[in-house]
Amino acid sequence: MEAEASSFETSEILATFLGSTPLLSDSWNLCRHANSAAPHGFLVNRIAGVAYVAFSGVQTVAGLDSDLTGCRNLVALDCDATAGLFSELRCRGGEAEEEPVMVHAGMLNLFLSMFKYTDFQFQIFELMKQSKSIVLTGHSIGGTIASLSTLYLLSYLQSISSPLTSVLCFTFGSPLLGNESLSRAILHERWGSNFCHVVSKHDIVPRLLLAPLSPLTPHLHSLLQYYHFSMKDLTVQNIQLLPNEMKNEIFLLVLAYAESSAKLEGGQRPGRESFWPFGSYVFCTNKGAICVDNEIAVVKLLHLMFSTASASSSVEDHLKYEEYVGKFLSWQFLKTEGLLEGEFLDYSSYEAGVRLALQSSEISSHEPAFEPAIQCLKTAKRMGRTPNLNSANLAIALSKITPLRAQVEWYKKTCDEFDENRMGYYDTFKLRGASKRDDKVNMNRIKLARFWDDLIHMLDTNQLPHDFQKRAKFVNASHFYKLLVEPLDIAEYYRTGMHRVKGHYVKHGRERRYEIFDRWWRNRKVGDEENNNRSKFASLTQDSCFWARVEEAREWIENTRSERDTRKLSMLLENIDKFEQYASGIVERKEVSTDVLAENSSYHLWVKEWGELKSQLQQFPPQFPGFFEGNVVP
Amino acid sequence: MVGERLGERIKVREELIKKACSLSFKAHKSPGKPYLLEKVRGGALPEVIFVFSGSWSVGDWFSSTSGKAFGETKVDLDLFPSLRNIGNVDEVAAVNDAFFKRFNEILMTPSFKKEVNKAVTDKKQIVFAGHSSGAATAILATLWFLDHNGQVQPNKTQIITPRCITFGSPLLGDRIFPHSLRRENWDNFFIHFITKHDIVPRITLSPPSSIQQDFQTILNILNPKSPITTHENFSNFFVTVMKNVQSVTSHAACNMMGSTNPLLQTITSFVQLSPYRPFGTYILCSGNGKLVVVKNSDAVLQLLFYSCQLKSGEEIRDFGLKEHFGYENELEESLEMQNVVYLDNYLKEVPLSSDASVVGEAATVNAALNDLGLSTRARLCLRAAGELQEQKQRNERKINSNKKEIEEKLKIIQDYQKGCTLRKVGYYDTFKIQKDDKDFHANVRRVELAGLWDEIIEMLKRYELPDEFEGRKEWIELGTKYRRLVEPLDIANYYRHSKNEDTGPYLVKARPKRYRYTQRWLEHAERMAQGSSYESCFWAEVEELKSRNKPDEDMKKILELERDISVWVKGGEIGSDMFLGESTFAKWWRELPEGHKRGSCLAQFMNN
Repeated sequence: MEAEASSFETSEILATFLGSTPLLSDSWNLCRHANSAAPHGFLVNRIAGVAYVAFSGVQTVAGLDSDLTGCRNLVALDCDATAGLFSELRCRGGEAEEEPVMVHAGMLNLFLSMFKYTDFQFQIFELMKQSKSIVLTGHSIGGTIASLSTLYLLSYLQSISSPLTSVLCFTFGSPLLGNESLSRAILHERWGSNFCHVVSKHDIVPRLLLAPLSPLTPHLHSLLQYYHFSMKDLTVQNIQLLPNEMKNEIFLLVLAYAESSAKLEGGQRPGRESFWPFGSYVFCTNKGAICVDNEIAVVKLLHLMFSTASASSSVEDHLKYEEYVGKFLSWQFLKTEGLLEGEFLDYSSYEAGVRLALQSSEISSHEPAFEPAIQCLKTAKRMGRTPNLNSANLAIALSKITPLRAQVEWYKKTCDEFDENRMGYYDTFKLRGASKRDDKVNMNRIKLARFWDDLIHMLDTNQLPHDFQKRAKFVNASHFYKLLVEPLDIAEYYRTGMHRVKGHYVKHGRERRYEIFDRWWRNRKVGDEENNNRSKFASLTQDSCFWARVEEAREWIENTRSERDTRKLSMLLENIDKFEQYASGIVERKEVSTDVLAENSSYHLWVKEWGELKSQLQQFPPQFPGFFEGNVVP
Repeated sequence: MVGERLGERIKVREELIKKACSLSFKAHKSPGKPYLLEKVRGGALPEVIFVFSGSWSVGDWFSSTSGKAFGETKVDLDLFPSLRNIGNVDEVAAVNDAFFKRFNEILMTPSFKKEVNKAVTDKKQIVFAGHSSGAATAILATLWFLDHNGQVQPNKTQIITPRCITFGSPLLGDRIFPHSLRRENWDNFFIHFITKHDIVPRITLSPPSSIQQDFQTILNILNPKSPITTHENFSNFFVTVMKNVQSVTSHAACNMMGSTNPLLQTITSFVQLSPYRPFGTYILCSGNGKLVVVKNSDAVLQLLFYSCQLKSGEEIRDFGLKEHFGYENELEESLEMQNVVYLDNYLKEVPLSSDASVVGEAATVNAALNDLGLSTRARLCLRAAGELQEQKQRNERKINSNKKEIEEKLKIIQDYQKGCTLRKVGYYDTFKIQKDDKDFHANVRRVELAGLWDEIIEMLKRYELPDEFEGRKEWIELGTKYRRLVEPLDIANYYRHSKNEDTGPYLVKARPKRYRYTQRWLEHAERMAQGSSYESCFWAEVEELKSRNKPDEDMKKILELERDISVWVKGGEIGSDMFLGESTFAKWWRELPEGHKRGSCLAQFMNN
């Protein structure tokens, strides 16, 4: 762990960088324009090679206030209505069970009706033809539509494996969109970095959905109406239209729920029916801005900054982005402020940086929010140890575990070539007794699995660089690991009879890591290497699930003996036939390692069993007319 | 150091600095001459100064034909062979194309090279100097000189290293410039003076597209010959440039400070950030006679932003322009005062607050930082730059501590090699067969060594080791030893598993970076042709030739390989166990056409 003394607080400098680019002001300008000129719709613009799509904040969203579905108006993103638009986005739990990714029903409807009934798709595709960079943006509810559009676009781009277009979503004062599973699914896909939510310090709208709003339905209607009027024309802002009592009621309710949401500590998880943030948040004030991407810290800061608000500032701040963005663009520039007083002399670089960040958040040292805010930034820092450092450490760890893999290779070699049982390493391992050699290999198998699972966990929790799964070193190492060790995992699975408990390996027993490695391997950069025919058998079987398929095929043969239903029987035979074609193909192309062909390997046993079965069947062919007319017999 | 004058510290006579400065301005006023030459006496050696005049048309600042957002282009490696990353050959330095073209025109004039050569023969101390865009030419001239006159002349006499002195120079090279200069130990030869509000050193941090409207107008007033001295658009121009400087510096600061937020990368792909970085020794003039000397490139970049925070339009008009012309007076005063702070050693612990009650040298540092107008944020950025440098040194110490382990493991493989030779099968083939425990153990050592070296390569790829690392003699030697001894085992392993059938030939598709890098270290240090030192992977060539089995078609390659092998064996760079009867090499060679074998330069080895 790097020493705190030598580390730095970066939430502020990152916001500074963001503010110095034209992205933010260009986004906001189009948002403002969309609010006044295109209510219920969106506008498109291109500036310096970047395409901007801004969704109007003037939208009528159903169910923001009332509780239609019984669970805070959340619906599964993967429902019939979305027709697979977001199919790439799934929340994979630790185990097989998946938790539903849910979003606000009303927002989803808004997006879907825009998607279906406007030229949205057409416009987006036109933009992608002209521009490699697309910014989707929106103020207020327009921001939520921008988020959903971005999710749709990312999902689409991933489904066609197109890395060419960069997508970025800027929202201004957007309400929350979905639950914690949505947030985790976005992390898994590594899409968190495509979202940047700008939130002014007291704005009530981004905090609104932390509270159940049904008790305040009439109030909310007036509030939203007030916002619509003001957004269409920013010059007409008359806060007096809203009675103080009403503002107070909403403010206090939201504050109370924001506070309870912020009590969650790292490791704890909110309920699946709670709204939860994702992506980065930029909190802006009159003195500057900070940018945070740790969700727990975001929730805490949503509360802490809100706790310094008043009922009317919480309502007014939603309409002040013009001012904040303007300040953001010029505030730090040409300014020599921010000199700390002498009393801070003893602070480390890190402590001083945290205090500057708080200065920019306009939380002063005498406010009760001060200490918790400091703790919050510190925790976020600890949790986000630099991804690069992690990947460097992983490279070292990889080289440390490679000798374990070398031992497994040696095991394979001795089993395949010298063992008198002539079974190959798969079957030797599956049928192993209690020997020191086998135990050691099993130990190595477990250690290697732990290494790769830890790595995937780091990837899931955004602790690794965003291009990690494209780095040749790990793509190659994981592939090699998979080819060598997955057969041992399969052997263990069938050895311990797991297939009888959970079902066959390929569908029910395969560890997630192997599926991920398959994906890495598929997505790697492939050069123009020729695929020459092999002159000898591969050193590792190129389909790492080969043995699992053999096991299934052996079971089919077993089942044919007892199966009396002819329809089912012919289905079994069809499956066996398919497997045979697959297996003889892979063997012919020499894509299997020699252990497959060992005299007593499971595969060889299967070939024998199948041969016997065939000759039996040929004695009673009338039962299966048509089956032997195909080219089953090689 | 007390009592030491600036000139002694940076090893340039102060009179020479002043002379270079006044000549640099004089050069602007000599129409038709791209450079002036003046002989100076007074130093230990006779001195000659080449000064280059500036140019004030937009096309001479940003090339419109380079096709890149900042008018940059890859350097011509024939002219500047050192301006690249050694290990990663793809990382060739990028230079501002317009400045390069201007230099190249001068280089093409017959007189320039002649006069430079004469100065070398006459054993003169050469100084290249210039102001504004003239400075850019001076820098490129110096780099060209360093790469072409090498450290040693053919007659083995030590060359007198040149000096480059610039005033208000724009940035012109990307990050490979500071990297290469430190590696070659050249960064001391470049002395850049800048006044704290001079806009010119900041201009190329702006994309030309953002300033094109006003740029020619502004260049007109930056021209010392121009009668117009100010323009209403100057404030606007200044603000735009500084805004872009802020993007570059805050982005750099995020990276230095180790920001973990992946948003940083996403944003970066949406905006254009200048590739140009400072290099050499910067001397900032604070405006009241004090001088701040900084070599750390990251720190200089931050100072370019934070030392130039003018508040109002009036201030911008008053300082931003004037300071580009004020070098002569500024130098006169500050060289007299000798109030100089050398910041590099203090970067890590610069006081964070202006009123810090520090004493001693720290107080002097603090006073200088106050004069530069540095806020706490600025000081944190300086600390981050110092910390990054320190981190690189820590990394190197850690890598150095692995040396013993590497040596020990190499020893084991050496013993393995000896054992194999005694048993009359070379270690390449023994290893390829992998029959005994000892082969397995050698394989484990190979894998462990790979881990140790991959760690180094990973760090180099991410610039996490000091820039000097790839020029360190002891590492080049150890890398060569490792490569020659262990790479054959990697090749044996590759062909043993027939991986060439999955992925293609070892040399094209699979050669690990740890061998590519170490080979290039040696080639660069010894000034050998790129790719010539492939003695560690000749086995791969043999395997490929063998599997193609078309000796007639491949004859040219075979002859070349045989010639190289014979040189390497005689020179002791590789062992001679490949000639043992049953080795892959011997078997392959025996199958070659009889006629060829008789005349082969390896016949004598094979027949023994």
